Amino acid sequence: MEFLLTDDQATLTEGVREFLTGTHGPEVLRRLDEEGNRDPAIWQSLVEMGLPGLLVPEENGGLGMALLDAALIAAECGRACLAEPLVDTAFVAVPWLMAKGETGELAAIAAGEKTVPLAHNINGWTADGNGEALESVDPLRNLSPLTPDATDDELLLNLGALMSSAQLVGLASAMLDQAVEYAKMRNQFGQPIGSFQAVKHHLASATVALEFAKPVVWRAAQAMDDGQENAAIHVSHAKLAAGDAALQMAETAIQVHGAMGYTYEVDLHFWMKRSWAHIGAWGSRAFHTKRVDDAVIGGAMNIGPQHTFG
Amino acid sequence: MQLNYTPEQDAFRTEIRQWLADNVPEKPLLTLEGEEGYHQHVEWERKLASGNWGMVTWPEQFGGRGLDLIQWLIFEEEYWAAGAPLRVNQNGIFLLGPTVMEYGTEEQKSRFLTPMAKGEKIWAQAWSEPGAGSDMAAITTKAVRDGDEYVITGQKTWSSRASFADWGFGLFRTEEGSKRHRGLSFILFDLNSPGITRRPIRQLHGEPGFAELFFDEVRVPAENMLAGEGEGWNVAMATAGFERGLMLRSPGRFQAAAKRLVDLYRTHEANASPSAREAVSKAWMDTQAYAYNTYSVAAKILAGGKIGAEASLNKIFWSELDRAMHRTAMQILGAAAELTKFTDGSINQWLEGYIFSLSGPIYAGSNEIQRNITAERLLGLPRQGAG
Ligand SMILES: Cc1cc2nc3c(=O)[nH]c(=O)nc-3n(C[C@H](O)[C@H](O)[C@H](O)COP(=O)(O)OP(=O)(O)OC[C@H]3O[C@@H](n4cnc5c(N)ncnc54)[C@H](O)[C@@H]3O)c2cc1C
Repeated sequence: MEFLLTDDQATLTEGVREFLTGTHGPEVLRRLDEEGNRDPAIWQSLVEMGLPGLLVPEENGGLGMALLDAALIAAECGRACLAEPLVDTAFVAVPWLMAKGETGELAAIAAGEKTVPLAHNINGWTADGNGEALESVDPLRNLSPLTPDATDDELLLNLGALMSSAQLVGLASAMLDQAVEYAKMRNQFGQPIGSFQAVKHHLASATVALEFAKPVVWRAAQAMDDGQENAAIHVSHAKLAAGDAALQMAETAIQVHGAMGYTYEVDLHFWMKRSWAHIGAWGSRAFHTKRVDDAVIGGAMNIGPQHTFG
Repeated sequence: MQLNYTPEQDAFRTEIRQWLADNVPEKPLLTLEGEEGYHQHVEWERKLASGNWGMVTWPEQFGGRGLDLIQWLIFEEEYWAAGAPLRVNQNGIFLLGPTVMEYGTEEQKSRFLTPMAKGEKIWAQAWSEPGAGSDMAAITTKAVRDGDEYVITGQKTWSSRASFADWGFGLFRTEEGSKRHRGLSFILFDLNSPGITRRPIRQLHGEPGFAELFFDEVRVPAENMLAGEGEGWNVAMATAGFERGLMLRSPGRFQAAAKRLVDLYRTHEANASPSAREAVSKAWMDTQAYAYNTYSVAAKILAGGKIGAEASLNKIFWSELDRAMHRTAMQILGAAAELTKFTDGSINQWLEGYIFSLSGPIYAGSNEIQRNITAERLLGLPRQGAG
C-alpha cells in the first residue's frame, strides 16, 4: 500500500510541464485562435517527446506506460490548454484499441502519423473528426457531428471520462495560478486585491476542492490500470470531483479578475471554456452521479472504512 | 502507486478486527461530554491499552507497538467500522503525544507518554482564553519563575474534557511585558493542583464537555515545561499541525458515518428528496477523497516528507464534509430529527453528531483562519494592509 506518485512520474510530468510552459504559452493559444486552431509544428514537437506513443506497447514502437502516467500527462495538457488531439488519440483511443485487440495502427499512432477521432453516442459530437463544423464555445475545439459508426462502448466512455477528469485538474490548476497572479498584481484601495479576505477565501475554497479532487483522479486511473471491478465508479467519482472543482475554480477566477475576466482579451477564457467542454463531455454530471448513486446506495459496491480501496 | 495491502498488513487488519469484535461494548456508551459517559470512556481507553492498542504508532517502550502510519490507518479503519467509542484521550494521544515525542526530554517522554498510552492520565488542552480565541498570540495568563517552579495566574477557557480530566497542557506568558507570540512557553500541569478552579461549561447539547480554568498562583515544577522558556509558540504550532493534519480526525470515522447515512437513506428512501440522494452519495465520495488524501499524506511522511500549511486544507475539508453529512441525515429524518431518543428508545446519534459537527469549523483553528492560512502560506497572497 503506497498512495504515492513515483519519482519517475514526477520527473516525467515536470519534463512535460516545462516543455509546454516554454513552447505553448497563452500567446500560442491566441495565435491558434487567429490562424486556425491546429499547428503541425506543435504536433510534431509532441511526437518528438514521444507522447503519442506513451501507452503504445514497446513492440509497437511506444513507451508502454500506464494509464496513471497518461493521466498525469493529460493534466499537464489541461494546464497548458493544449488543443492538439493528443489526449484523445494517445490516452483514450490507444488503450481502447489495445483492449479490443486492434493493434494494427498503434505503430502509426506512436509515430504521430495517425490520429483517431472518437465517436461515442454519449457526446453527440466528434472532436477532431472530418465532418462539417459544429461551433463550440471553446474557440480551439474542432467539433463535428457524430459519424454513423458511433459506439456506446463502456470502456471508451470510461477512458474518455478519466482523461477529461485529468485535464480538468490541470485546467483548474492553471486558472488558480492566473487568479493568484492577478490578485497579487491588481491594486485597489491602495493595496493588492489579494490582500482582501473575501478574495482570499474564494481562492482558498476553490483550492480545497481542487486538492481533494486530485487524489480521486489518480486513484481512478490506478483502478483502471489494476482492472478493478468497480473502476467505472471511481472514474465517475473522478469526473464529478474534477468537474465540480474546475467549475468552482473557473467562476472564482473570473470573479477575482473583475471586468478583465469578462473580456476576450484576457487569456483566462481559453481555460474556462475548455473546462466547460470537459465538464459536459464523456458523461454529464447527471450520468456520473447516477452511476455513483446506483452503486453506493444500490448496494452493488462495498462501502465503509474497511473498503477504502475495494 | 500501489493500492494493495501486503499480507502482513492484511494479517494486522485481521488481528485488530478480531480483538475489537471481542471487546467493543455492545451498547453504545453514554456521551463522552457528560460525567458518567466520560468515566465509561476512560474505562474503555484502559481496556484498549490492556490489549496494547492505545497508540499503535508509538514505540513499545511507551506503551505502543512501533507500527507505521499505514498500519495506524488500518487500525483506525477497523476501529470505526467496529463502532468503537470516541477516544476520550484524543487531545493527549493525538496532539500532546506527538509533540512530546518531538520536543520532550527523555525524562519527559517516559514520565508522560506511557501513562497517556495506557489511559491512566486523561489530558485537556488549554490554549484559549476569554481574550485569546482565534488570536492565540493574545494570551495573557502568566507563569512566573520562582526557584524551580512556575507560578501561574490567569484564566483559560473552552478546555475540552477539563471538567473531568487529570492533566492539562497549554501556553503561558513567561516573559513579563512580552508581546504576541514572543515570551510564551508550553507547560504541562496537574489539573488537581492547588489553586486551579474548574468551572464546567454546558455545551450546545447541555453536557459539560468543556470548562473554564481559573489559575490562582498555581505552582508547577519547572521540569513540566516542554522545550525552552519562550519557545512555546513554535511548539504549539507543531501541536496545532498534528490537530489539523493527519491525526485528530482519521478518515475511518467519517467513512463509517457515510455508510450509516447510506443505510439511513435506504430505510427512508420512499419519502426522501432527490437532493438527499445526491447528498448521500456525495458523502461517500467526499469521505473517500479524504481517505485517499490521508493515505497520500501518510505515504509522503513515510518517504521522509512533512506536512505544512496543507494541514489547513485538510481541516476545512473534514469539518465541512462532516457537517454536510449530518445535515443530510437531519433532513432525511424529518420530524424525528428533533428527538433525542427515537421511539424505540435508541439514542438519536444523528442529532448528537449534527450538534458536534457544528463545532468542527470552529475548533482547531476556525475555518476562516484556515482559509487565511491557505491563501497566505499556500497561495502566497499578501496580508491585509500590505501596500
Ligand atoms: C467544541 C469545542 C472544543 C474546544 N476545545 C478547546 C480546547 O480543548 N482547548 C482550547 O484551548 N480551546 C478549545 N476550543 C476553543 C477554540 O479553539 C476556539 O473557539 C477557536 O480558536 C475560536 O476562538 P473563539 O471561539 O474565541 O472565536 P473568535 O476568535 O472570537 O471568532 C469568532 C468568529 O470570528 C471569526 N474570526 C476571528 N478572527 C478572524 C480573522 N482574522 N479572519 C476572519 N475571521 C475571523 C472566526 O472564524 C469566527 O467565525 C474549543 C472550541 C469548541 C467549539
